[in-house]
Amino acid sequence: MNIKQQMKGDVLVIALSGKVIGGPELMEVKSVFQKAVDQENNKVLLDLGKVSWMDSSGLGVIVSGHTTLSRAGGALRILNATKKIHELFIITKLITIFETFTDEQEALNSFGE
Amino acid sequence: MRPIEIRLPSDTSVLEPLQLIIEAVGKSAEVEEDDLSLLSVAVVELAKNAMEHGNENDPEKIVTISFDIFPNRIRFHIDDEGSWEPEKALGFNPGEGEELLLTRGRGVLIARNLAKWVEFGLTPEGKTRVTLIWPLT
Repeated sequence: MNIKQQMKGDVLVIALSGKVIGGPELMEVKSVFQKAVDQENNKVLLDLGKVSWMDSSGLGVIVSGHTTLSRAGGALRILNATKKIHELFIITKLITIFETFTDEQEALNSFGE
Repeated sequence: MRPIEIRLPSDTSVLEPLQLIIEAVGKSAEVEEDDLSLLSVAVVELAKNAMEHGNENDPEKIVTISFDIFPNRIRFHIDDEGSWEPEKALGFNPGEGEELLLTRGRGVLIARNLAKWVEFGLTPEGKTRVTLIWPLT
């Protein structure tokens, strides 16, 4: 799994790629969310477009990020979830918590609304 | 034919190799290409549960995954060395109410939805066994 971060305006875009599978790597993702809050980057867009495989461990870290950011007054939104990852969001009802987007600009704009 | 067995230490570092093995099993049974990763998610979720709840993440303890390929289904058994009670260990519905914000506990829910059939039981020796049926079209 790889993690890339980029500021776009006042939104931190975190792009994950590869397999998001249980193990120590997930702690790295968790710490990225915490660092974002520490640096007062409370608006985060998580790009899952290049994630080839994800299970419940990955969902757990995303929920953790949501909680961390929400408590800091921010928000976590999801970009480009693949069909299979979207299915996991539906099965677990997390789709009712997260705003998901397929267009990056639309997603970025949503933080200003 | 006797089932084929895969024996794994209870260590999350083996999850990625397991994912690849399960997709190879699915491919050999002619599971549709699009469904291979869903199959591997379902089995990996149950293997993780077996490592955690049955074997307490002790790498010395083994999770055994066996499978049989039938004309219309693949049957997996995921066995651990414990005798945990699934409803006790997984005693909440991760898809309802405030529990939606829990960071864990979704594995069985996901496996049940993807595989259509997941059942908890015991091996002849009294250890926890999960049976997963993956239908073949």
